[in-house]
Amino acid sequence: MNFFTIVLRGLLRRPVRTGLTLVGISIGIAAVVALVGISRGFETSWETGMKTRGTDVVVSNMGSALTPKPFSASVRDRITPLPHVAEACSLLVDLISIEDAEMMIVSAREWGGFTWKNLKLVSGRLPNDEKEPAVVLGKTAAEMLKKKVGDPIQIEAAEMSVVGIVDGGAVVENGSVILSLPLFQEVSDNQGKINIIDVRVTPGTTKEQVTKLCEQITSLVPEARAIVAGEHIRDSQAYRMIRAMSWGTSLLAVLVGVLGVMNTMLMTVFERTQEICVLLAVGWRRRRIVRMILMESAMLGFFGGVGGVLIGVIGVRLLEHTPAIRGLLEPDLNARLLATSVAIAVVVGVFSGLYPAWRSSRLTPSQALHG
Amino acid sequence: MKKEYDDGQVQALRGADFQIREGEYVAIIGQSGSGKSTLLQLLGALDHPSSGKLMYRGQSLAEMPDLAAYRAKEIGFIFQAFHLLPTFTAMENVQIPMFETGRSAADRKSRAIELLKSVGLEHRLNHFPSKLSGGERQRVAIARSLANGASVLLADEPTGNLDSENATLILELLHRLRQERNFTLVLVTHDMGIAERASRTIQMKDGHIISDIGKEHA
Repeated sequence: MNFFTIVLRGLLRRPVRTGLTLVGISIGIAAVVALVGISRGFETSWETGMKTRGTDVVVSNMGSALTPKPFSASVRDRITPLPHVAEACSLLVDLISIEDAEMMIVSAREWGGFTWKNLKLVSGRLPNDEKEPAVVLGKTAAEMLKKKVGDPIQIEAAEMSVVGIVDGGAVVENGSVILSLPLFQEVSDNQGKINIIDVRVTPGTTKEQVTKLCEQITSLVPEARAIVAGEHIRDSQAYRMIRAMSWGTSLLAVLVGVLGVMNTMLMTVFERTQEICVLLAVGWRRRRIVRMILMESAMLGFFGGVGGVLIGVIGVRLLEHTPAIRGLLEPDLNARLLATSVAIAVVVGVFSGLYPAWRSSRLTPSQALHG
Repeated sequence: MKKEYDDGQVQALRGADFQIREGEYVAIIGQSGSGKSTLLQLLGALDHPSSGKLMYRGQSLAEMPDLAAYRAKEIGFIFQAFHLLPTFTAMENVQIPMFETGRSAADRKSRAIELLKSVGLEHRLNHFPSKLSGGERQRVAIARSLANGASVLLADEPTGNLDSENATLILELLHRLRQERNFTLVLVTHDMGIAERASRTIQMKDGHIISDIGKEHA
């Protein structure tokens, strides 16, 4: 028997209460894992999508909506002459309901632009020209819409046909309905409007030069901002709100966990007053009692954290396949997030045990003789 | 020594001045509320006297830097209600006090087995307290009190929760162990029959020592 055994027995003394406390912490930590993982997934999925398209700089106006605000398509022509700009491609991206799918990414791209080039055909072909009423579907989008090459597809009021299924190399690309820019401008009543310009810089452009280019574009185009690809999502008010809500909700869930552990440990100290006094009477130092209580609460936190990570990961994996999320983002459940979540749980455990531990240290051994 | 509670409103011990020699068997008797348990608490450094001084082998307890070490190494407690930890086996309960003495896990275990053998419980090593009889629980408690080789055993009504047969067995065990290990035994009781086995009887009333009688035969 070692000190760890003593700590463990303390927890197993009331298995139902310990179990319920663990469930409480687990739910809190699962919320952290799921919400933060999803919000980070949103960021990384879009970032990966940008990288796959070969985009270095994104020109857009990320307001408070999930998609950028439209601006004039003529902006593109003011950008292309700037130094270090190799190519620019106009896009009109929106999240709309298509047939039975509640929210799909529609990515309308300038015909012939570089953003078409990363698409690898899985079946069918690309549209013949920008006028052909045709779309290609990312492979996930095709599964979600249950479409194959040759099927008709309703985009807003227009009927088009699916001419190809593509692998875009990223979750966002594979979850998109891709068509030519003029077609979508017309069906969405956004003639002459775009909301994103993907810019590719010339090879050999340094990071400082890219940053300077962004500043130049932003000053040249007051209706939009140029941001290094990937960072534009972080710049979005909507994303910031999602992230803040994720952490806010997680914090509340963790707070519930703190109260749960504190309650359990206080009950433990109250219930075990006699026992703690006996330990003091047989020569245990107060600091050993404090350590025992803190280790018990830390272990509650640790096991709750591990349980929470498991529940969170399983929950997110299940959510990933729901129509609301599928094809829009890939939750980012990296090892750092999972380790941080367990660490948060352990800190929560130790923090929650501080007051009960202090209470236990105030007990006097003479109480052991009573009762 | 004096001991007061609640700012002097309760005077549990109104004056006790006595000396116990090493190896003595002292019974402290008295009615409920006479101050005998308070005296035992002070002897075991579970509490501090309000005034006066308690000396152990020439050193004042008040000046000892680590009273927990004094309790761990020099004092063994036996309680009326046994106070074994319910989630630990007999062998584990005996090991509990040894955590403060730096013994290795293997050493703790072998010492616990040796002590439980000495109280006749070698067949109950892995039994939890709930599976032991009252007499067996008290024997585990006695083994626990000896875990660190205490020089003084303080027993508070050790047979109070036992039937007469088990009470006799426990007293005989304590007597035998004291002879084998030569520890000082201070036993609180209200039973004159038990007190008669001691070499010295201190009688208390209303917080005072009213008699202190040594016997030749014990």
